[in-house]
Amino acid sequence: MARAATTSDVFNAIAEPRRREILVLLRAGERPVTELARELGIDQPRASKHLRVLREVGLVRDRQAGKQRLYGLEARGLRPVHEWTGGFERFWNESFDRLGAYVRDLKQARQEE
Amino acid sequence: MSATGQGGPSQSATADREIVISLVIDAPRELVFEAFTEVRHVSRWWGPKGFTTTTRSFEFRVGGVWDFVMHAPDGTDYAEWITWTEILQPERIALLHGEYRDDPNAFESVLVFEAVGVATRIEMRTVFPTKELRGEAVEKYHAIEGGEQTLSNLATYVTEIARKGMED
Repeated sequence: MARAATTSDVFNAIAEPRRREILVLLRAGERPVTELARELGIDQPRASKHLRVLREVGLVRDRQAGKQRLYGLEARGLRPVHEWTGGFERFWNESFDRLGAYVRDLKQARQEE
Repeated sequence: MSATGQGGPSQSATADREIVISLVIDAPRELVFEAFTEVRHVSRWWGPKGFTTTTRSFEFRVGGVWDFVMHAPDGTDYAEWITWTEILQPERIALLHGEYRDDPNAFESVLVFEAVGVATRIEMRTVFPTKELRGEAVEKYHAIEGGEQTLSNLATYVTEIARKGMED
């Protein structure tokens, strides 16, 4: 599978442990970047960079509140992950994998007849 | 994800209420099609690993019905009811998939079989009546598969992606 750009693929965005930590922190509510950086023990530019990636894939939104910019979780952005890890699509992908194996066996059996 | 199974994005007008799944099987189209036409075949591959089915009736024709119970590995049973709305051997099968006869939430899937050299590409396009029903189906199948397995797969996937990222 071709590797999608981190900034456009939600799966790649959450592959980074710090970014997953940010999402977990934001579950409790909106936070400014300074607080997030402190909680994560990283400098602010680094935290901002992670937030930018998360925002670009639609997992985080931001808004200006007075002098501060607050970051919040956009949980809907996780939908592709949720759907991929289960649900209808996985059910059928797995069924089709079994179908493929079954038909290949069938083909072999017919050839041997 | 395996080499054969692959979901794909869709650009159609019904994109927000449909799910498209496709794969390529290394076998002739007639044979792949045949695997959909008889219960002795279908019961061998329907559902993810560990799932089994008990069939009450199976009549592969337009207007015919496949009435069955699907057994999940955790012991839960699910009533399933399928009727075929179009059969064009060996190219196309359309079916309506619900939980019982006249289920108002039934949804239609269209399977297209395309010969690709000596292999076959199958595409299954499922269109749900509404975006909400698409969401409900996703949730229902989540429940069917069980959360624990799902999470462990996610962990594996994320680890794999992370590893690839570090190698770049």
